[in-house]
Amino acid sequence: MKAKLLLLLLFVTSSIIAQDKKEIRDFFWGPKDEFKKANSIPDKWKNESAVFIHKREHYNYHKFGASVTYTSAIRKRVKLLDQAAVTEFSQFSYKNKFYSNKAYGTVWRRGTNFVGVKVVKPDGKEIEIDTEKEAKEVNGEQKLAIPNLEVGDIIDYYFYSVEPFKSVYDYTFAAVETPLGDVYPTMDLKITLETENDFFVNFNTYNGAPALKQIPTKSSGERSYELTEKNIEKNEFPRWFYPYAEMPCYKFQVIFARSGKFEKLADGFLSESEKEIKKTVAKEDIYDYYNKKFVPDGDLGPIKDFLKGKSFASEEEKVREVYYFCRHEYYTRYIEAFVVNDAKIFYPFEYYGGNPIFFSREESFINYFMYFLKKNEIDYDIIVATPRYNGSIDDLLIQGNVTKLIRVNTKNPVYLEYFSPYTSADQIDYSVENSKAYVLEVSKGKRVTDASTVVLPSSTYQENNYKTKTTLKLDDFTGFKVKRESSYLGHLKENEQKEKFNFYDFVYEDYKKYGTTQLLEYVKNKKKKEQYTNELNALINKMKDKQKEAFEKSAEEEFEFAVEDYKLEIKNSGRYGKKSALEIEENFNVKDNLIKKAGDKYLIEIGKMLTAQIEIDQKEKDRKNNIYMVYPRSFDNEIILEIPAGYSVSGLEKFNKKVENETGGFTSKAEVKGNQLIINTNKYYKNYYEPNANWNKMIAFLDAAYQFTQEKVLLKKN
Amino acid sequence: MKTIKFLLVSVCFFVNAAMAQKGIDPTPEDITKAKKLREIYAKDDIAILESSDYISFDLNKKDGKVIVNHNSKENLMNINYRSDIHKAEFYDSESSIETFSMKYRNDKTAQFQVTDEYYKDKDLFYNDAKVKYITVDFPVQGYNYKYEMQKKYDDVKYFTALYFNDEYPILKKKISFDIPNWLEVELKELNFDGYKITKTSSQEKDITHITYTFDDVPAVYKEEETPGRSYIYPHILILAKSFTKDNVKTPLFRDYKDLYKWYRSLVLMMKDDPNVMKAKVTELTANAKTDDEKIKNIYYWVQDNIRYIAFEDGIAGFKPDESNHVFEKRYGDCKGMANLIKQMLKLAGFDARLTWIGTKHIAYDYKTPSLAVDNHMICTLIYKGKKIYLDGTEKFNSLGDYAERIQNKEVMIEDGENCIIEKVPGGNADANKEVFKAALSLDGEKMIGTCNKSFLGESKTQFLNIYNSFESNKKKERLDGFLTRQKKDIVVNDLKTSDFKNRDSVLTLDYGIAISNKVSSFDNEIYVDLDFMNEYKGFELKDRKVDYEMDYKTYFNSEITLKIPDGYKVTKIPSNLVIKENNFDVNISFENTGKEIVYKKTFLFKNACIKAGEIGKWNDFNKKLIENYNQQITLSK
Repeated sequence: MKAKLLLLLLFVTSSIIAQDKKEIRDFFWGPKDEFKKANSIPDKWKNESAVFIHKREHYNYHKFGASVTYTSAIRKRVKLLDQAAVTEFSQFSYKNKFYSNKAYGTVWRRGTNFVGVKVVKPDGKEIEIDTEKEAKEVNGEQKLAIPNLEVGDIIDYYFYSVEPFKSVYDYTFAAVETPLGDVYPTMDLKITLETENDFFVNFNTYNGAPALKQIPTKSSGERSYELTEKNIEKNEFPRWFYPYAEMPCYKFQVIFARSGKFEKLADGFLSESEKEIKKTVAKEDIYDYYNKKFVPDGDLGPIKDFLKGKSFASEEEKVREVYYFCRHEYYTRYIEAFVVNDAKIFYPFEYYGGNPIFFSREESFINYFMYFLKKNEIDYDIIVATPRYNGSIDDLLIQGNVTKLIRVNTKNPVYLEYFSPYTSADQIDYSVENSKAYVLEVSKGKRVTDASTVVLPSSTYQENNYKTKTTLKLDDFTGFKVKRESSYLGHLKENEQKEKFNFYDFVYEDYKKYGTTQLLEYVKNKKKKEQYTNELNALINKMKDKQKEAFEKSAEEEFEFAVEDYKLEIKNSGRYGKKSALEIEENFNVKDNLIKKAGDKYLIEIGKMLTAQIEIDQKEKDRKNNIYMVYPRSFDNEIILEIPAGYSVSGLEKFNKKVENETGGFTSKAEVKGNQLIINTNKYYKNYYEPNANWNKMIAFLDAAYQFTQEKVLLKKN
Repeated sequence: MKTIKFLLVSVCFFVNAAMAQKGIDPTPEDITKAKKLREIYAKDDIAILESSDYISFDLNKKDGKVIVNHNSKENLMNINYRSDIHKAEFYDSESSIETFSMKYRNDKTAQFQVTDEYYKDKDLFYNDAKVKYITVDFPVQGYNYKYEMQKKYDDVKYFTALYFNDEYPILKKKISFDIPNWLEVELKELNFDGYKITKTSSQEKDITHITYTFDDVPAVYKEEETPGRSYIYPHILILAKSFTKDNVKTPLFRDYKDLYKWYRSLVLMMKDDPNVMKAKVTELTANAKTDDEKIKNIYYWVQDNIRYIAFEDGIAGFKPDESNHVFEKRYGDCKGMANLIKQMLKLAGFDARLTWIGTKHIAYDYKTPSLAVDNHMICTLIYKGKKIYLDGTEKFNSLGDYAERIQNKEVMIEDGENCIIEKVPGGNADANKEVFKAALSLDGEKMIGTCNKSFLGESKTQFLNIYNSFESNKKKERLDGFLTRQKKDIVVNDLKTSDFKNRDSVLTLDYGIAISNKVSSFDNEIYVDLDFMNEYKGFELKDRKVDYEMDYKTYFNSEITLKIPDGYKVTKIPSNLVIKENNFDVNISFENTGKEIVYKKTFLFKNACIKAGEIGKWNDFNKKLIENYNQQITLSK
C-alpha cells in the first residue's frame, strides 16, 4: 500500500512539473507570442555578429505566509549572423535543480530551472530541442550542445527559474542595475515585473530610458509593470567611462517585508505603500532610514588606554591618531589570525579572550566612531554619499549603493571612512570625492534630525602624486643598470599599497607602533609556539617568493619590456598619515634593449623609461561619450642618464615638450649637467570628469606623453 | 558591532589537530634532507622520496576480461618553505579507485576531504573521465605524507602505459609487475636509452615478477609546446596479447589486426541512415563539373558546417556516431565527422573509408597493438588508385593539404574484414610559406609605402581560423591590429584582400603603410630602423630543456626595400646574419643597390621544431638577432 501511495505521489509530482513545463513554454512561445514569426532584422545591423530580435526579462514575486516564490526568467530570440555568434550560442550550461540561498539557516528550498531552446531556420522552419534528451549531466550541471545551428539561423531560448524560500521577517532581493543595451543590438526589449502585497519595489530608469508603466491587474493585491523599448544599439564601454552616468539604464530592487515592523528592519529605502513604486529617495528617506540603523555604541576602553598620557597639538590631530589606532585595534590586529586560520596552521581566535572585536562592516565603524566623538564632545556629521559611477545621489535608489562617512567638524574638518589597512584619515574614497552628498545632522550625538546636501571635497592632482627618480648607467653599450626611486601620495599611494603589500608588510609595523601583543606571543605552550612560528614563517617566506615574482612581472608590464635581476625594497610604508609617502626603491637591469647601434654611435630610447603610455588610436579619437576618471593625478619623473666618459649626447630638443590645457598636461625638459643627461617630465590630469568637447584637449597631452616615449638621444664619441 | 564567532566544531578540530602534531612534524633529518633537495630541485615544491607502482592481473570469469590491479605508494616531501598541492587520480567507466588515502609520517591517516567529480576539460564537451582529489597542505619544509592508491581496470585493453616521471621529481621509483602464467603480456620498454633504469626478473611458481627501478627521476617538463609525452619520457607499454583459461587461448591484441577487429566490431554496431543527407549530397554535387569539385564541395561543406564537439563517453569514445546523427545535429567529434564525410562521399559514388590515426602527439605506429596507438579518426578517399585523406576537424583546409599533426603518420584504413596500413604523405615548409613585402620611402621622419602579405598552407589555415573567430563587425579592426602590431606608430590604409572564402589559392593582403618613430634625424644624418615588425625577437627559449614544437613547418620570408632619399648616401648598414642548423635556418641580409636598400629575412623551421640539443644555439642566435634588430641604417648628406 505504501509503495502504491509513494508511486501515486511521484506520479502526481511529475505531472505537476509537466503541467508547469507546458505553462512556462506557453508563457514565452504560446499562441500569444508576438515574435513567433519575427525573423528579419533591419539592414543597419546586417554586419553585426548577432541581433536580439526580442529580449524579454520577467520577474515575479509571490508569497503565501512566510513562503516566498521568486521567479525570474529571460527569453532571447537571436539572429546569428556569423560563426562567432554560432559558437557563442552553441553550448549551454545550467542546473535543473538548485537550492535557494535566500533563506538563511533554517529552511532551504529546492529551486527548479526550466529551459527551452528552439532553432528557426532561414526558411522559417522551427526545430524545438528536447533539452532533457540532449543535455548531459556533469557534476550536477546540464551541458547542452545545440544541434543543427548554423549561420543565418535564429536561436530562440528561455531560461525560467522558480525559487521558493521561507522568509519569516524581511528579505531584500539583490539589486538589478543594468544598461538597456546588451552585447548585441536589440530590436525589441520588454521587462515585466509582477508583485503582490508585502513586496516593495524600487524601480527607475535613467538617461533617456523609457519609464516603467503600470499594467492594470484583476486583483487589488497584485501589481504588474512593464518597460518596453525598441531599437537599442549594442553596448560599448570606452576607456574612462561610467555607464550608469550616461547610458540609458534601469535599476531596481524588490524588498519583501511582511509587516510594518519588518518594513523598518528591511535593508533598503521603502515606499510608503507597496502599491507605489519608489522612484526616488528623498533626504527624509535617508535620515529616517539611518535613525533606524545608527546607534552610537561600543567599548571605548581601548581608546582611553591609547590616549592615556598623550597630548595632541589639536583636536584634529587627536582624531587622526585615534583613527589609525582603531584601524589597528579593530582591523589589522586580527589579519594575522585570519591568515593563520586560512592556512590551517592553528585555530587562532580563542587566544584573543572572550570578545575580540573586528569591524567587518561600515556600520560597526560608524557606530563606534559616533560613540567616541559623542563621548569626547566633538562635533560631527554622518555623510551619505554614492560613488560617482552610480550616477548622482539625486538618482539614488538602491541602499547598497550608499557609502557612509564621518565628518568631524573640527576647525579643518577631518573625514573618516571605514578602514582598510591602507586608508588614511583626511582621505575619503575617491569614488565619492567631488560628488554631491547628504549631511545627516546629528542632534546631541544621537538622532539624525535633518539632512542637507554638500559637495564632498576633491583631491587635487598635486595631492595624488607619483614621483620617480630613475638613474640609468650604461652597461657595455647593450643595456642599462637601472635604479628607480619612487614615492606615492594620495590615492595613488593607496592603490600601490593594495597592489604591492602582503599582510606582513603592514601588520608587524602596526604591532610595533601600538605595542600590541602579536598572535604567537599569546601561545604559551613552548612546543606549540615553536611549531606555529615555524609554520607561519614558512608561509611568509613562500608568500615573499611569490611577491617577488609578482613585483618583477608588474615592472615588466609597466615598461613593456623585460627586466632582469629585479629587486624591490619598500623604504617607507606610508601608512600613518596622508602626508607620509609610500617609498619604494627598485634596482634592475635592462639587457639588449633601448639601445640602437648606428656604427660607432648609439641611439638611446630613453623616452621609454617613462614607462608605457596610453596610445589613442583612431577609434578612440572618435569617442562620443564624456570622460569619467577616478581622480585628478600627477606623475613626475626624473630620468638621469650617466653619460660615459668621452661621449656626448645630442637631440635633446625632442625631449622638450609642453602641452598644457584645462584638462591636464604633459611637459618635459632635458638638459645636460656635468656628465648627466637629466630629463624631467610632468604629466597630470586635472579633473575627475571632462565633457566630450574636451576629449581632444586630453588627447593632445596624452599624445605628447606617448610621443615622448618614442624619442631618442644620440650618443656619440667626442 | 560584530564579534568573531567561535565555532565549536573548529575548536574541536583544533584540539585534534594539535594533538596529532606529535610524530608528524618533520624530524631534523627531514628538514636537512628537504633543504638539500631544494638545492637540487630549485623549481619544485615537492619531492617524492619513494614511489612504487605494483601491477597484478586477475581474470574475470564472468565476462572473460583480464582485470588489472594497480597499487601505488608514494612518500611526498615538501622541499620549499610551504606547499599546498592537489593530489589527484583519474578514473573512468572502465576503471575504479578503491583506495585513495594520505597518511602522516607516523602512519596515522590524514583526514582530507576527497572530492569526486567529473573531470572538466575545456576541449572536451563531455567525457566520462572522473577525478578524485584532495587539497594537501605541507605547513613546513621537510613535512611529508604517505600516499596510497589502489585502482582497478576492468579490462586490460584500457591499461596501456606506465610512466616513470611524475609532476614532481622522484628520488627512487619502482614499477613492479606480477604476471601470471595464464597471461601473455609484453612489457614494451620505450625511451629507456640514456637512463639508468634497471630491470630484474624472477619466477615464483606461476608468477613472473618483473621490477624496474629508476633513481633520481626528474619532474615532467612544465613548458608548453612540447612533443607528446610518449616521445620524451621513458615508459612501459603494457601489451596484453592473450590469456589461457582451461587450456583455451583467448586472443587479445596480438597485432594491429586484432586492434582493427575490435574497432570494426564497434563500427558494425552503427546504424547509419545515409538517406537523411541524400538531398544535401545531390545539392552539393549537382552542378559540380568534375569529381574533384564534387569531393571538394562535400569535404568543405563538412568543414564549414559541422561543429567539432568532443564526446568521450565509455565505448562512444571509440565508436563513431552515426553519420545521419552528425548531419542532423550539425556537430560531432572526429569519428562522427569522418563517418559523415565517408557516407556523403559514398552517396556521391566515391570509395571512402574510415581511417584510424595517431596524431603527431603519439610516438607509436601500428606495429604496437594498443589503444594508445591512435587518438584520431579521418576519412580516406580512394580515387583512381590514390589515397586522399580528409580530416573533418580541420577548418579551411584545402583538399590534399595535410595538417602537420597527421603528416607522415601511419593510418589504419578500413577494408572489410581486413585493414590497410598506410602513411599520410609528409609536407615541406614551402607549402606553408608566409611572405611579407614592403616598398618604402622616407617622408620626413616617416616611412611610407606599400606592403603585401601572402599565406599558404598551414599559415593560411591558421590565419583564417583566427580571423573567422572574430565577430563580423570586429574583423576589420582586428585585421588592422594584426598588420600594425597594435602600435599607434603604424598606420595601415587601402587594405585589399584576396577572397577569404577560397581555401585553395594563396591568401593575400595588399595595403598602404605609414610608419612613425622609426626614423630619427640628427645633424646631417638620418637613422632608420628598418625593422618595424621584429619577427622572432621575443622567441627566446629561456631555461628550456625540452624540444620546442611548432604548429607547423614554418617558412617566413620578408623583403623590405627602402628608397635612398635624394642627396643622401648610405654610410652604415647593419651587418648580415646567417645561421644554418638542422632544424632552423635563418638568413638576414642588407644590400645597398645605390638606389635602395634591400633588407631580406628568411626564417625556416623545416621540421617544425627546435630540438633540446639546439636550444643553446638558438638562444645564442636570438641574442645576435636582437643585436641585429638594434642596428640602424645611417644615411648621410
